[in-house]
Amino acid sequence: MSNVQLPFIPKFEQSERIKVLEARNQELGTNGQRQYDTYGDHRCWLNIGPFPKMDELPSRVQGYRMDNEQWGADYAFMLDNTEEAIYPCETIVGEIHWEVKCIRPMNFKSAPNSDEIEELRERSKKLGGHPNAYGHTCPDVNIVLTQGYDKILERIRKSLAKYTELKNERRANYLRGLEHICCACIRFIERYAKLADRLANEATDESEKARFRKIADCCANIAHKAPATFYEAVQTLQFAILFDRSVGHGNGYGRMDLYMYPFYKKDKDEGKLTREEAREYIAEMYMKLRGQFFSFGGRLEDGSDATNEMSWVALEAYDLVGDYNNLGVMWHSDIDKDYYDYACDVLARHGESIPVLVNWDLMYAAQLRSGIPESEAWKVVYSGCQWFCIPGQEWCGHDTSYLNLITIMERALARGAKYEQYRGNNGEPIDFETFYGFYVEELHRTMRAFQDVEAAIDRVRGYTQPEMYTSMISHGPIERGLDMTAPRGVDIQYTSLNIAGIVNVADSFIALKNLVFDKKLYTFREVVNACNNDWEGNEIMRQKFLNQPKYGNGISEVDDMYVRLCDTLQEVAEGYVNQRGGQPMRPSLYSFMSHLESKDDVGATPDGRHKGEVFAQGINPQAGMSKKGLIPFANSASAADMRKFQGGSIQVDIQPKFFDGKEDRYSYIRNFSTAFFQGGGMQINMHIMDLKKLEDAMDHPEKPEYRNLVVRVTGYCARFITMSREYQENFVSRMNHSSMN
Amino acid sequence: MRVSSPKVNLIIFIDGDNMQKETLLTIDVSHGTTHDGPGMRTTVFVKGCPLHCLWCQNPESIGIKNEVWWSQPDCIGCESCMKACPNSAIFGDERGIHVDRTKCAVCGTCADTCPSSAMSRQGEEYTMDKLMREVLKDRLYYKQFGGGVTCSGGEPLLQYEFVSEFFMNLQAEGISTALDTCGCAPQKNLEAILPYTNYILYDMKIFDSDKHKEFTGAENKLILENLLYAAEYVRRADHPMEIWIRTPLIPGATAYEENIAGIGEFIRDNILDVVTRWEMCAFNGVCTAKYDKLDMKWAYDGQGAMAKSEIEPLKQTALKYVSEEKLLVTGMVREDA
Repeated sequence: MSNVQLPFIPKFEQSERIKVLEARNQELGTNGQRQYDTYGDHRCWLNIGPFPKMDELPSRVQGYRMDNEQWGADYAFMLDNTEEAIYPCETIVGEIHWEVKCIRPMNFKSAPNSDEIEELRERSKKLGGHPNAYGHTCPDVNIVLTQGYDKILERIRKSLAKYTELKNERRANYLRGLEHICCACIRFIERYAKLADRLANEATDESEKARFRKIADCCANIAHKAPATFYEAVQTLQFAILFDRSVGHGNGYGRMDLYMYPFYKKDKDEGKLTREEAREYIAEMYMKLRGQFFSFGGRLEDGSDATNEMSWVALEAYDLVGDYNNLGVMWHSDIDKDYYDYACDVLARHGESIPVLVNWDLMYAAQLRSGIPESEAWKVVYSGCQWFCIPGQEWCGHDTSYLNLITIMERALARGAKYEQYRGNNGEPIDFETFYGFYVEELHRTMRAFQDVEAAIDRVRGYTQPEMYTSMISHGPIERGLDMTAPRGVDIQYTSLNIAGIVNVADSFIALKNLVFDKKLYTFREVVNACNNDWEGNEIMRQKFLNQPKYGNGISEVDDMYVRLCDTLQEVAEGYVNQRGGQPMRPSLYSFMSHLESKDDVGATPDGRHKGEVFAQGINPQAGMSKKGLIPFANSASAADMRKFQGGSIQVDIQPKFFDGKEDRYSYIRNFSTAFFQGGGMQINMHIMDLKKLEDAMDHPEKPEYRNLVVRVTGYCARFITMSREYQENFVSRMNHSSMN
Repeated sequence: MRVSSPKVNLIIFIDGDNMQKETLLTIDVSHGTTHDGPGMRTTVFVKGCPLHCLWCQNPESIGIKNEVWWSQPDCIGCESCMKACPNSAIFGDERGIHVDRTKCAVCGTCADTCPSSAMSRQGEEYTMDKLMREVLKDRLYYKQFGGGVTCSGGEPLLQYEFVSEFFMNLQAEGISTALDTCGCAPQKNLEAILPYTNYILYDMKIFDSDKHKEFTGAENKLILENLLYAAEYVRRADHPMEIWIRTPLIPGATAYEENIAGIGEFIRDNILDVVTRWEMCAFNGVCTAKYDKLDMKWAYDGQGAMAKSEIEPLKQTALKYVSEEKLLVTGMVREDA
C-alpha cells in the first residue's frame, strides 16, 4: 500500500539465537532482578541477593578506612567473588550482581569534616539547594580498546613507583587501589576464558564447541591485550561497562560509532565480518547491558559529518531487538540525510523514545562557551538524560544535584508581602521589579549555601566516594594519582546542577504581573496569603491565576519571562565556583525526579498550582497547560539560549492517531526535529504511544502484551509495568498530543 | 432555542465592504495544521461568512460579532457571569449555563469576569503587526514541512483588504500562502488577494444552484463565475499557483452521485488544467459541542460518520472526471459493519 520509497531497510528479522537471548532478557526485565527501587527495571546488575562474603571483605577485616587503596581492595574482592556464567546461545558474555555501594558505605560519615558537611547540607537543602552528585560522566572506553589491561597496569605501576619514590603517600595509596582494581579485572576476564575453555572441552555438539572456543580465545586475549577483532572489541566493551557499572552510578559510554569503526572496517575489509554479524554482536551487548547510553552521529574535528557505517550498525542493532535502551542520535546541520531519516524511522516504528534526538551543534557550542578548547570540544557526546561531556576528561556531577526554584520564589513572595506590610514603600504597593530583585537575591542566598556544602564535599569526595574504574579509563587519574572526582583528577570539572520548577516560576511571575502589578485585581499580600493557605476559600481567585497565559503555548510574553528567568539563573549560578580548580556552576534546564520529589517541600504557587501538585518537568509545560499543540510548545522550549546550559530536553508524548494514518511518520519526525533544532532546540525525547494502552497496563500489568512496553521516564527508559504507580500516573498525565494542532 | 438553518441567514454584508478595518477579526489562529494546504501550516480562521451552510463545522465563524460561548468542563459554577451581565441575559438550568441571545448585547463583560475562562469571546482582533509576529514564529517549520500560512474561515474574502496586505507581507517574507474560500463575494475581493496567493482552496459544495441555496442560503452562480475567474488568473499568473477544489461530503446535501458528477464535469470541462487536487472531505460530527456552547441546535446532531461503502461510489463517480492522482478522500470514514 505504501508507495513511500525508504532509503533504508525498515526492519530486521531476528535469528533463532537472538530470539533465545531476547526471551531471557525479557524474563530478567520483568522478574524483578533488574528492579531499581520504584524507578522500574533500570539497573545493569542482576539482583541475586546480598553479597555473600561480607565478613571477609577487606574493609570489614581491616576496619573501614576512608582511603582509595581499601576502596580498590573492596572492589577487587567483590569482583573476585562474582561467579562467571555463560548462558545458552551467548557469544557476548559477562554479568555482575553488586556494585560498591552494596558492600561499602558511600557517604561522608567517616570524613573528618562530616559534621560540617551535614550542617551545610541541611542548610542548603532548606534553601532549595540539593547538593552532592556522583557519577553521570563518560569515561573514554577507547583507552581500554586501544591499550588493553596489561598496558594500563603498566602505567599504574609506573606512576605508583614515581609517587612512592617521591613519598606522596596520598597518590601512591590511590594508585595501589587502582592496581587492585586492574588486576581484578584481568582475573575476572581470565576466569571467563577458563570457563569457556572447560565448556568447549566438554561440549559434544560441534557448533557449541566452536562457540565456547571462540569465547575462550577472545577472553584469553582481551584479559591482557587490546582487542584484535570487532568481536573482541564488543566483548571488551561489555566487560568495561560491567566494571564501570560496578562502581555504582550511571555513566554514558561515548561515541560508539567513532571508537568501534576501526575494528569494524578492518574486519569487514578483510572479509572476516559481515554487517549482519556485527549487528547481532552489538544487539547481544545491548541486551546484556540494559540501556547504557551510547551516541552516534555528530561531527569530526574538522567539522565534517562523523556518521559512518558503524553508526548504522549500532542503530540497526536496536532495531533488531527493540526493548529497553538508551541511545542518542546527535543531529547537526550537515548530518547524513539517509542516516537521520533512518533514526527517525526507528523512533517512529518502535515509538519508545529511542533514539533520543539531540542537537550536536548546540552541545559543541555550549562546551566552547564554557572555555573548553576546540581541539577537545568536538569530542563532546550526549551521555545520558539531558547531559553531555567530553569522554574521559570531564567530571561535573551531572544530573543529581538540583535547585528547587519554587522554594526560592516562596522566600521572595514572603519578602514581598512583608515589604508591603511593614515598610509601606511610602504607602505604595510593591512593584514587579522590586519583587524580581528579591527573587534574584534569594537565588544568590541559595547558591551561596550550595557552594559552601559542595566545597566541603569536594574536599573529601575523592576518598569517600571515588569512581576508580571510571577514573582508570579516563585521562589524568593514573598519571596524577588522583581520582576524577577529586580536584584536578581530570581537567574539566564544573559543577552541574539541575533545576526544578522553572516553568512554575515563570507561570507564577506572569500571573502576578498581569493580575497584581498590571490589572491590580488583587494585592500582593492577598495572593501570598492565599498561597500560604493553599487557596482555601479562594477558588475564584485561584481560577483567575490558573487561567493566565502559560508557558508551553508559544506566547511571547510568557516565553520572554521564562527566558529572563533562565538568563538570571545562569548568570547567578556562573558566579559561584567549586573547590575543584575553581570551576563555575553550570545549570541544566532539566529535572530528573526532582519535580516529583520536591512537590511537598513547597506550598501552593501563584500559577494556580495546589500544594502537593507535581511541578512541571524540566522545561516541559505544567501538565495540562499546553493547549495550542506541539509547534507552539516547541517554540516555547527553544526560546532560551541553550548554549548557556548543560542541556534541557522536551518530552513529546504523542498518540498514534496524531499521525492520522500517515505512513511516512519518520518524515514528520525528521521535519519537526530539524526545525526545532534549527530554531535553537536542544533535545527531543519522543514517544508514540496509545494512552488507552498505558492506562490499561496500569490496571492489568499481568497481560503479556505489556511485558515489553518501554517508556522514557525522564532521562532513562524502563518497562512501564515495573514503575511505581506514582510515576505511571505522572507519565500518563503528560501524554498530551493526539492531533497535529 | 435557535436552530441552525440557512433561512435565518441574511446575507447583509455580501460585499464585505463594511468589514474593512485596520484589524482582522478572527476566531482562531491554529498552529501546526496539516489539512489546509500542503505541508505544515498556520491557519488563520477569520470571522464572518456570507454563507450559512446547514452542516457548518465552525458555527462561531459565521457572525461578525464577538459572541461568547460557555464551556462546561472549564466552569466552576461560581455564577460570576450571571451577576456580571448588565442585561441579565445569562441563566442556568440543569444542563448548565445559557446565554439568552435575544438579550445579549455582545459586550463581553461575562467573559472578562469569568475566572476560569469557561465563558469566552469567540473573536479576536489582530493588528497586522501582531498577526505577522504570530505566524512568523513557525517559519522554520513551514520551511521543513513545505508549508506556509492559510487563511480560512469564515470567509477571508470578506475582509479582503486586510487579507490581501497580509498575504503580500507573507510573500515578502518568502512564506507560501493559501486562501481557503467559499467564493461567495464580489470578484474585486478575489482580485485583491490573488496576486499574493499560492494555493486557492476553493469550495464546490453543491452543483445545483437551487439546492445550493437551500443548504447554504445562497445560489452558486457568483461562486462558479469567481472560480472561472480564479482559474483564468492562475493560467496567466507569473508566480506559482494551484487550485485545490474541496467538496464536503454531507449526507443528504452534497454526498450523492448526481452532485459529484455535476462538480466533476464542471472541473473537467473548465478548469482541469489548473486544478491539482480535488479533495472530498467526509462529514464528521465532532463539532456538535460547538453548537451546544452557542445554545444552538445543530441540524446534523447525532449524525454519524459515513461508511466506506457510501464513499466508494462517490469516489468512482469522481474518477470519471479527474485522475486518481488528483482525487483525495479525507475525513472520518467508518468501516462497514
